[in-house]
Amino acid sequence: MIEIDNAVKRYGSVTALDGVSLSVPRGALFGLVGTNGAGKTTLFRLLVGHERPDEGTVRVAGRDPAASTAVRRAVGYLPEHAAFAPAMTGREVVRFHARQRDVARAHRRERVDDVLRTVGLGDAADRRVGGYSNGMNRRLGLATLLVGAPDVLLLDEPTASLDPEGVETFHRLVERVHERTNVTVLVTSHVLSEVERLCDRVAVLDEGRLVEAGPVDELGGEEAIIRFTPGSDVTPDDVTAFVDARPDVGLARATGDRYALSVPESAAFDRLAALQDALDVERFEVDRTGLREAFDRLVGADSADADGGDAGEQTVADGGADDGGVADV
Amino acid sequence: MSESRPDGGTETRHVRFDATRPARKQLRSVADFAVREYRLAVRSNWASGLALLFAVLSVGVVVFGRSSLGADGVRAVVLSVAELSVYLVPLAALAFGYGAIVEPRQRGSLDLLLALPVPRWVVAVGIYLGRAAALASALVVGFGAGGLALFRFGGGAGWGTYLALVAAAVGAGAAFLAIGLVVSTLAREKSHALGGVLLAWVWFVLIFDLLALGAVVGFDLPTPALVALLCANPATLFRLLVLSVAGSVSGGFGAVLASVPLDTASLAAALVAWIVVPVAASAALLGRR
Repeated sequence: MIEIDNAVKRYGSVTALDGVSLSVPRGALFGLVGTNGAGKTTLFRLLVGHERPDEGTVRVAGRDPAASTAVRRAVGYLPEHAAFAPAMTGREVVRFHARQRDVARAHRRERVDDVLRTVGLGDAADRRVGGYSNGMNRRLGLATLLVGAPDVLLLDEPTASLDPEGVETFHRLVERVHERTNVTVLVTSHVLSEVERLCDRVAVLDEGRLVEAGPVDELGGEEAIIRFTPGSDVTPDDVTAFVDARPDVGLARATGDRYALSVPESAAFDRLAALQDALDVERFEVDRTGLREAFDRLVGADSADADGGDAGEQTVADGGADDGGVADV
Repeated sequence: MSESRPDGGTETRHVRFDATRPARKQLRSVADFAVREYRLAVRSNWASGLALLFAVLSVGVVVFGRSSLGADGVRAVVLSVAELSVYLVPLAALAFGYGAIVEPRQRGSLDLLLALPVPRWVVAVGIYLGRAAALASALVVGFGAGGLALFRFGGGAGWGTYLALVAAAVGAGAAFLAIGLVVSTLAREKSHALGGVLLAWVWFVLIFDLLALGAVVGFDLPTPALVALLCANPATLFRLLVLSVAGSVSGGFGAVLASVPLDTASLAAALVAWIVVPVAASAALLGRR
């Protein structure tokens, strides 16, 4: 459905995309993560035809998005800061978009009502948008795309500035729409757990380069994570000594009294047993390496996860130095 | 429109009719955008506020000048309204136009509109036409109130002149609205656009005439140069249009204006150019962004 081949985009001396190649199959729920300025929004702008690549090619449904407006009929793009004229009602907004997306007049009213109900705005459809909450605005944004029955949805940071309930509602909505229509969804998010939950595939961008792409559950590689809280008499030096004595164990994170060790997945429980023998461990959990750890390993930056309990942890990826940067992924 | 790319090739921008979308549909989209914009202007009370302003202005001049209403008196009242309008119509139109593009851009709604399957020129032209219709409505309603007062106090005398004044005001308003649209398209922030249109108003309404008068007095300008000079300012064209219909000459630069060999149709055409060129420029600029 989406084919990007060696795309390069420069703005003056800044290279926003540097030879990105990516293939997104029809019906995928695809996540795009990367630090601030990694090139996610630029990639979306290429896909919707707002920009042309300086080099390489971009194809959506087999066509060049910048060559004509035809591709935009198949693509629904929800920008990060999308908003609506506050004096319009939700129904007027969706009806306007339906007309521009060539929804047949005979079905337009029914289609608009149906989409408004789908996004949970049926009762608020005739209220002015100025009185909508952030969550309602985002759902209205989604409705403006869905009304045209697109083949591809491009959602740029769709849950930014939403409260947890709004995030959950939006997630369920996207999942339901995807399930019903098999639409191809490309979503960027600064919340890694969101991408992990919502998407089946993910690509990691760093400084305009694609550093990894693949199924979400394979991105973590062959590693596991042991998260533990040591007893009060255990010092950071004790933990460091434990890690230094074992070449296949790395200190992935250290935050206050919590630690995360990266270990080979096949030896995870052996290393846990060794940890419990060597140190007083009050609580622990063992997990496969998730997107967060994969991201840290690939990009080498700390990531801020709004719904994770470990937000603000200090990254010591692969036992290396902390670069101190907070990643907007 | 084509432009050079870093690889030496050229790229075609969207400022053109899209061959994949029939012209009829593109024009329908222009109408949709215009209706949307008109509705927003009415709901935001811009249109009613402007109508009230012009109603107070025109009725006030008629009421205060009613003692002298006769054939000449009506002309004097019309010229008084025109003189005030030369300052207020451009200011109102620029103030109404400066947010046309930059406001939805800052709010976040422009990106959504540009992602629709319509060429970008449709967005620019539609927004302009909607606002122009709202401004024209406000001017007609506002000056209409003055017209009714004129009818009440002066009978039927001078109606043609007054209608010509209203038509010229609508034309001048449309031209200054188009200038506001360009400023709005160029500006990155609303405050920059506001500063831009205020500078434009000071230039066209306050400074230009002084400089032009200086040029006329200081240099013996040939007629074509004088015509070009006068056509370079839509406010001057507005004044000339009113003078050409009212057949009257006010002092100072007015005497110069009256000596210019331009008929009403030529003046109107020049004013139309002041609408078409900025709107086309705005559409082109939006296509490049």
